[in-house]
Amino acid sequence: MTQGPSDADDPAPTAPILEAHNLHKHFGGAVAVDDVSLEVRPGEVHAVVGENGAGKSTFMRMLAGILVPNEGDVVMDGTRLEPGSPQEAIDAGISLVHQELSLIPEMTVAENIVLGAMPTRGGFIRRRALKATAQAALDEIGVGVDLDEPVSRLSVALRQFVEIARAVAREPRVLILDEPTATLTPAETDYLLDMLQRLADRGLAILYISHRIPEIFTICDTVSVLRDGELVGTVGIDDTSPTDIVDMMVGRELKQELQADHESNPQGVVLRARDVRAPGVNGIDLDVRAGEIVGIGGLVGAGRTEFVRAMLGADPRNAGTVQLTVDGETRLINSYGQAVAAGVGYVPEERRADGLALTMTVRDNIALPNRKALSSPLGVLKRGQIVTYAKDLADDVGLRPPRIELEAGAYSGGNQQKIVVAKWLGRAPALFVLDEPTRGVDVGAKAEIHRLVRSLAEQGTAVLVISSDLPELLELSDTIHVVRDGQIVGTLPRDVADESSVMALASGGTSMIGV
Amino acid sequence: MSEDTSTQATVDTVASDPPPGQAPELEQQETTALQWIAERGIFLFTALLIVIAAIFVDGFASLVNITDVFNRAAPIGIVAAGMTFVVISANYLDLSVVAQVATSAVVLIAVNNSAGLVPAIGVAIAIAIVYGLVNGVAVGVFKANAVIVTLATTFIGIGILRWQSGGSIYFAGEDSLIRAFGTAKLGPFPLSMIVFVGVSLALSYVLTRTTFGFVIKAFGSNPEATRLAGINTAWVVIGAFMLSALGAMIGGFVLAAFSQTAVSSMSGGYDFEALAAIVIGGTSVFGGKGSVLRTLLGVIFVSVLSNIMVLSGLGFGVQQMAIGALIVAAVSLDALARKAATS
Repeated sequence: MTQGPSDADDPAPTAPILEAHNLHKHFGGAVAVDDVSLEVRPGEVHAVVGENGAGKSTFMRMLAGILVPNEGDVVMDGTRLEPGSPQEAIDAGISLVHQELSLIPEMTVAENIVLGAMPTRGGFIRRRALKATAQAALDEIGVGVDLDEPVSRLSVALRQFVEIARAVAREPRVLILDEPTATLTPAETDYLLDMLQRLADRGLAILYISHRIPEIFTICDTVSVLRDGELVGTVGIDDTSPTDIVDMMVGRELKQELQADHESNPQGVVLRARDVRAPGVNGIDLDVRAGEIVGIGGLVGAGRTEFVRAMLGADPRNAGTVQLTVDGETRLINSYGQAVAAGVGYVPEERRADGLALTMTVRDNIALPNRKALSSPLGVLKRGQIVTYAKDLADDVGLRPPRIELEAGAYSGGNQQKIVVAKWLGRAPALFVLDEPTRGVDVGAKAEIHRLVRSLAEQGTAVLVISSDLPELLELSDTIHVVRDGQIVGTLPRDVADESSVMALASGGTSMIGV
Repeated sequence: MSEDTSTQATVDTVASDPPPGQAPELEQQETTALQWIAERGIFLFTALLIVIAAIFVDGFASLVNITDVFNRAAPIGIVAAGMTFVVISANYLDLSVVAQVATSAVVLIAVNNSAGLVPAIGVAIAIAIVYGLVNGVAVGVFKANAVIVTLATTFIGIGILRWQSGGSIYFAGEDSLIRAFGTAKLGPFPLSMIVFVGVSLALSYVLTRTTFGFVIKAFGSNPEATRLAGINTAWVVIGAFMLSALGAMIGGFVLAAFSQTAVSSMSGGYDFEALAAIVIGGTSVFGGKGSVLRTLLGVIFVSVLSNIMVLSGLGFGVQQMAIGALIVAAVSLDALARKAATS
C-alpha cells in the first residue's frame, strides 16, 4: 500500500454531505453517546476511533437510522432525516457495512448483494437484472467472485467484500464501515484500504470505524475520537500522530504496559500433540512447556483454529495423539471433556457465540466451568462462595464496572473477553489456550489481557495463543509457529521473529486475493 | 443476620448485590416498563386478579372454591413444573407429556388393581425413565428437533397405550389407596394440592440451587459456550427431559387419584396447557431464563382466570380464547423485552 502524500490535497471546502447534530443516546441509565456532532464531506475518509464501549457503533447506527437518538438530528444534504428509519437513510444515500457479517450463507453472492433491493417485475425476480446489478457492484469495488457461488463457500475476507459490494449496490453517497478489517489479514486489509481510497476519490464520503491506528493513517483525511460516549476531538490527519490519537482514545498512559516484557522460564512439556489431523488440518505436531507462551500465526483460513479445536477435542479429530502432563501425571486427551478435566482452559475465537451465556449474569458465567468445586458433593451450589469467587476473578481481570450481577450481554467486547478469561482463571489451568484473545477489543482491555497472559506464564502455566494480530503475536510469544494449509510451515523463536518473517511464512510468498 | 446498624436500612438490599461504592462508572440500569412487566408482571397480575376476583366475583373467596381451584390445577401444574426444565433448556416444550400422563394414570390404576400399589409405581417409574431417555437421547445426542421428537413419542406412547388397554376405562378399586388419596385432606387442604406445591418447590430447588439446574440454564442460554466450559451437554438435555417425565408421571398419579378413573384419552391438551402456564409465568421460550416458581404462578393465574369465568357463567370456548390471547401476549412481551435489552 503506497498511498503517496502527493495527492493528499486537503479536503476541499465543499459543503458537508452528512451532518450529525448533537446526537445523544442512552440505554436505560447508561449513556452511550453524549452530544456528538460531526460532519463528513464528499470524497473525505473520516475515521471514528475509540475504545470498545466508547459509543462508535451506537453513533453509526443512529446515522444509519437503525437506532433512534434521544436527542439531536441527522442531516443529509441539508435535510433532516426521520430518526429511526433505516429505509429513509438508505434512500438518502447512507449505506452501513455491518460489523458482524449479515450475509445469508445459503444464498448466492448475487442474491446477497441485491438483498433488500431485489429487481422484480410483477412480483417475480428478474434474474438477469439481479446479476447485472450484483456484477456492477463487484466491478465497482474491483473484486472478482463467482456470482452463483453460495456465500457459505467463501472465505471470511471475500464475505466481507461481498458485504461491501452490497452496500455499494445501493449507490450510496455516504458509506459507513464498522471495523471492516477485524477479520482480515494484512494483505487483505491493504486491498480493502486501496478499494476505499478509490471509492473516496470518486466522491464517496466514507466514515471508517477502526481500532487499528496504522490503517487510519493510511487512508483517512480526518479523525474523530470518541471516549465514554463523548467526542474528544476531530483533527486533520496531518495535524496529529498515532501517539496523540492513542492518548486521546484512552485518556491515560498505556505505553509502559504495552512495552512490558516477561521473563520466560520454560520448564517441562505440558502439552504434547503429534500428527493431529482433521478437516483443514494436515498433520501438526506441537509441544508447549510450562511457563512458555507459544504463538500460532498464519492467515485466516490456514487451519489454526481447526487445529486447536481438534487437538482439544472440541471438534472431531481424524488422527493424532494428544497428551497433557500435569504434576508429573500424563493423560491422553481424546475428548474435550477429558481436556478440561485434565486442566485445559480454552478461550474460543467467537466469544459471543461460543464463549459466553449472554443472558446469564457475569457471576454465573464465571462459575460455570468450576461449578463442581463450588458445590457440595450432592451438587447443591454454595451460593455465597460463588459470589466471592466471581467477585475476586472479576477484580483480577479488571472487569469495569465489576458488577457481577449484571448480564454478560450488558458489557462491551473487551469486558466480555475479560469474563471469558476469568471463567478459566479460577481453575488455574495447566494449559491455557486463547484464540484471537483481543479481536475487537479496545486498547485498554487488550493491555490488561496481555498482562494477564504474561503473568500466567510467569506462574508456570503453559500458554498457547492464536492471533491474526501480528504485533500481539510478536509481543506475547516465546516461540511462533506459522501455519499454512493446515501444516506448520515454520517456527520462529522470539528473537528472530518479526512481522515480515511471520508474514512471509504465512503467505508463502503469494498474494492472498486473486483478482 | 443480626446487624442493628442503619447501613442495611434499605428494604431491597439483597445479599448478592455488590456493596455500594464499588461501581461508580455505571449507573443503576433503568429498566423500561416493558421489561419490568416481562420480568415481574406475573406477580402483579396474579395478585391483581385474585384481589379483583375476591371483591367482584361471587363465590370466589371461599376456602372450598380456592382449594377446589388448586385441586383441579394440581395435575397440570405438576406437569408444567417438570416441563419448565425443557423450556429453559431452549428445547421449546415436551409434547409427549400427553402420552406420559395418560400412561402413568392408566398404569397406576390398572397395575394397582391387578398387582398392588408398589408394582404400579415401579412400572410407572420405569416408563418415565424410558420416555426421558428416548426424548433426551434423540434431542441431546442426535440433535433432533424437540418438537418433532416429542410429537413422535406422543404418537408412539398413545399408540401403545390404546393397543394395550383397548381404549377401556379403568376404575380405581373401591377401597384402594388411590381412591383414598384422591379425597384425602390435610387440615383444609387436599393432598393433591400439597403434592402440587411440594413438587413445585422441590423442582424449584433443583433449578436454582443445584449444579444440574445451573447447567440447564447455561445450556439454554448458550449451548456451545456451555459445551466449551467442559460440560457434557447431552446429559443436560437428557436430564431436562427426565425431569419433564418425572413431572408427567406424578401429574398422572394425581390425575388418576382425582378422577378415580383412567383412560388413554384423559390428558388431551396437557401439552399446550402446561406450556401456557410456563410462558404466562414469564419463562422465556428462547431458553436460559425462567423459574419453576414462575410456572407455579402461571398455573395459579390461568386456573383463577378460568375459575372466574366459570363462576361468571362464561363457557369453555371463551376460556380457551382468553388463554390463547394471554399466550400471544406473554411470548410477544418476552420477545419485545429481549429486543429492548439488546438494542
